[in-house]
Amino acid sequence: MATHDNTEHVSDATDEAVGWESKLQYFLNSDFVRSAPYWGIPFVLMSIAVYGGIGYNFAISFTDYEGLGTPDYSVLDLEMYAQALSSDAFIAAAQNNLVLLVGFTTICLVLGLFLAILLDHGIRFSEKFQTVYLLPMSLSFVVTAQLWLWMFNVESGILNLVVTTLGFNPVDWLGNPSIALGAVIFALIWQFSGYTMVVYLAGLQSIPDDQFEAARVDGASITRTYLRIIVPQLKEASVSAAVVLMVFALKAFTFLYALVGRYRPPNGTDILATLMVRRAFKFGEWAYSAAIATMLLVMALGVIGPYLYYQYKQGSL
Amino acid sequence: MAEHGCSDESVNRRKYLKALSVGAAAGLAGCTGGGGSETEATEGGSGSDGSGGDTETGGDSSGSTWDSQLEVLHGWAGGDGEAAVTALIEAFEEEHPEMDTNFQAVGASANVNLNATILRRLANNNPMSSFANWPGKNLERYSGALMDLEADVWDAEGFKDTMQSRAVEMCKLNDKMPAVPIGSHRMNNLFYNPAVFEEAGIDASSLDSVDALLDALETIDQNTDVTPMAQAMVAPWTNLQLWAQILTSQSGVEAYTNFIEGNPDRAAVVEALEALKTINENYITADASSISFTTAGQKVISGKAATIHQGNWVYGMFRADDSFNYKEQWDWIPFPGTEGIYFYHVDSIVAPSNNPSREETIAWQKFVGSKKAQIAFNNPKGSVPLRTDIDPSELTDFLAMTYEDLTDSEAYPPTIAHGLAVTPKTMGACKTAFGDNFMGPFKVEATADALIEAVSE
Repeated sequence: MATHDNTEHVSDATDEAVGWESKLQYFLNSDFVRSAPYWGIPFVLMSIAVYGGIGYNFAISFTDYEGLGTPDYSVLDLEMYAQALSSDAFIAAAQNNLVLLVGFTTICLVLGLFLAILLDHGIRFSEKFQTVYLLPMSLSFVVTAQLWLWMFNVESGILNLVVTTLGFNPVDWLGNPSIALGAVIFALIWQFSGYTMVVYLAGLQSIPDDQFEAARVDGASITRTYLRIIVPQLKEASVSAAVVLMVFALKAFTFLYALVGRYRPPNGTDILATLMVRRAFKFGEWAYSAAIATMLLVMALGVIGPYLYYQYKQGSL
Repeated sequence: MAEHGCSDESVNRRKYLKALSVGAAAGLAGCTGGGGSETEATEGGSGSDGSGGDTETGGDSSGSTWDSQLEVLHGWAGGDGEAAVTALIEAFEEEHPEMDTNFQAVGASANVNLNATILRRLANNNPMSSFANWPGKNLERYSGALMDLEADVWDAEGFKDTMQSRAVEMCKLNDKMPAVPIGSHRMNNLFYNPAVFEEAGIDASSLDSVDALLDALETIDQNTDVTPMAQAMVAPWTNLQLWAQILTSQSGVEAYTNFIEGNPDRAAVVEALEALKTINENYITADASSISFTTAGQKVISGKAATIHQGNWVYGMFRADDSFNYKEQWDWIPFPGTEGIYFYHVDSIVAPSNNPSREETIAWQKFVGSKKAQIAFNNPKGSVPLRTDIDPSELTDFLAMTYEDLTDSEAYPPTIAHGLAVTPKTMGACKTAFGDNFMGPFKVEATADALIEAVSE
């Protein structure tokens, strides 16, 4: 009995061994493995740099890591998330983030579309206008923030020069908490509406002229032509421009930081990114900041996710 | 043909490799030479061609050799701060010409980047040799990661006897002494434009209380075209600092001390906030919310504003303008109602534990406390040395006066907005109290509540 068992076992093992070896051979010869040096290295680098970072951030957000020293992974809980969600500063920052996201994106899209339609009418020097509108986008946030800081100055800024010339009282653009966020959004729109214009212009120029002519023959007014025929065809362009703008809105940290040169932006413009950096690098509250970072990531995914799904359903992914 | 091409190619390759290695060597030399080049420059006439042995034997009297690089991080990236730290570095390199040094200015307003860099590097266990920071309660943010310099620097150099006793206390943290003070700014100042005061008919020496100051500001507002006071509110610390002066002036040093020690008197807090509200609502420039203190200082220089309250670092700024001179275009009084008080601020150089260059750090910290270093640094900086044995004639007139006040005032309350008085967390909460509630509109009650909560925690 025992011998029989043994032999069977051995033969089983050799069977398996042969199968395993040839399988390995087969596997090593496959395109997947042979191409590995080409996609594998970037994949590993990417994983460590991006997903490793996200994972580490995620892990830290469950600890109580604070100050100098090393994180203690023995007690993992959601305390930091609870603490953030119950803090007024976090709620205010999240609200500002949302306002920035929606306001900035919507106005940029509408304004960009308007400019694109104007330029698409073949006005003179349209290429030059296109460059003029797009130029702010090529400027660094550091530059535009400083420019706007000067323009927003209550006493000597150009905006108040206009306001007072029109007979109104000077406005404290950045100092008044109820206006400051609007002022920041305004500056960002100035910088990014050129981008949406270019995206829309590309979309408009890909629409054949026949459609305009057909609409005109059928007696549709210009407004009607645009509203019913042209704009609906710009859905793709809108979606991709909106995603880029929203991601920029989430990262408006750079602009705010460059505006005041510190982690505390003007009152009423605190967003999650500034709050996170402030808590982390000013006070060393690593775990708390990591929790904010995770929630910011979730927000960003909330923006990107539907887009990716949309692209996937369209078959372009 | 093919052979020919082949050999040709190999020659090319060889040439290429050679060129590459030459380039790499040059690059390497450039990198390592970076620290040394300054040394060579200061050595000047010695004529040695940078060979290590030569300079080492000729250098330090103790004959010690340095084998690690001294890396010091500081935030003095521009203006008077830069001039001061450059003077300090030059003096140090004269003393230790053979040491490999790396002084890095991590610039940005109010040490934001410097502190973030230090915190990040200490948290990553990648310490530098030393860094500039405030001593006092501020050191608590680095608690557990600081080197003890008591035996090697403080006792070895006898600094405990030559430094102000207050500064000695400030440099202690949990029975360790990780810092050496470099200079002190006075906080309770009121800089003013004597021409405007004359025009408005105000005698500066008669300003002995906050009420007198408010009256004077009102007079300036009525009688001249000049804005009575320059105030910077892009960040909340300027308000916190001015409020601390007002509180001390109105209710005395004890009220201030009680506040920072966690026993605030709400009535006194509110009273000071009311006065500050009056100033901010009526007597400062309209663009205060978007300007920094340097821009505010410029308003005084350009004659747009009559007065400014700041630490005396603005002296460093005023002095940079040749047509703006002490006792002529500007003058100084202690903040009204705080005569005889020296509101205390200290800058220091701190050493982290697990130090990458122990011996070099000790030599550097010893130097920081020396007379030579303190005079070299403080004159351009506009601050005063913390040693008690400095001859005031070595300092500029204004600093000599401040230095005498530093050595004999009645009280030395530590500054709240600059790290000495409260822990970084409390200081942050106090700034947030002003940032959230007192940047216009000015909510006195809400700010008072937040301030009291901040120190009571």
